[in-house]
Amino acid sequence: MIRVLVADDSRVMRQIVVRTLRQAGYDWHVREAENGAQALAAVREDEPDVVLSDWNMPEMTGIELLRALRAEGFETPFGFVTSEGSAEMRETADAAGALFLIAKPFTAESFRDVIEPVLA
Amino acid sequence: MSTAVDTEQVYAVAAAVFAAMIDGDEGLLTPWYGDLPLVEEPLSAWVDLHGELPGRAALVCEAATAHDLTRALLMMEADEEVDDQDLVDAFGEIANVVGGNVKSLLPVQDTLGLPEVAHGHPPAAEGHVAQELRLSWRGQLIVVTIWLVG
Repeated sequence: MIRVLVADDSRVMRQIVVRTLRQAGYDWHVREAENGAQALAAVREDEPDVVLSDWNMPEMTGIELLRALRAEGFETPFGFVTSEGSAEMRETADAAGALFLIAKPFTAESFRDVIEPVLA
Repeated sequence: MSTAVDTEQVYAVAAAVFAAMIDGDEGLLTPWYGDLPLVEEPLSAWVDLHGELPGRAALVCEAATAHDLTRALLMMEADEEVDDQDLVDAFGEIANVVGGNVKSLLPVQDTLGLPEVAHGHPPAAEGHVAQELRLSWRGQLIVVTIWLVG
């Protein structure tokens, strides 16, 4: 079972991400966080196999979350699921240590394409 | 109208968002042909673009259409009741994804605000209307408006 932490301030979007993960296959154990700060606390408490995070969230953004995790020594595989998929954001995400960026809207296929190499 | 984003680009964004997030299939969002009906109970969702090229991306439709969009997004039954929290979250998220993708088309990349939802038509933003698309989703009117400064 793959333990995933899904961070997004939209409950609807978290629900869609979880649904898409299940459509993409694998057996997921899902935890959810409403913002970066909650996600950071959740990783400190119990590090998941992978973090999927929105970029733009209140309290703490996704990129702030990623930088905080790396600063604390967590090497948790991390990917963004965001409505903003510009080349500049991809570069920023990559520089901070993200493994991938999935742009919304997404499909089960696009999830599978980026997550499979991470899980391999 | 601005040349920063053209009609085809905005339509392609909206069509992709609806196909992937809402309908699971393409072709259910089309241009609106003919006269526009009066929107009697408008509900709006918008997200602001901040920075060097500020603007706003907004959707407006009948509240009943926003309820149908929420049901489709959450795979609810046609007669299932939509609560206000889900309505605001789902309708706002559609505006957020449309706005985020429109932002990606702009030559300057800055930040995107958090989505807002309100009764009535969307408040006019600074700048000019760069694009206004009148769309039909399953026969229901949805208007997408993009404001840009500059």
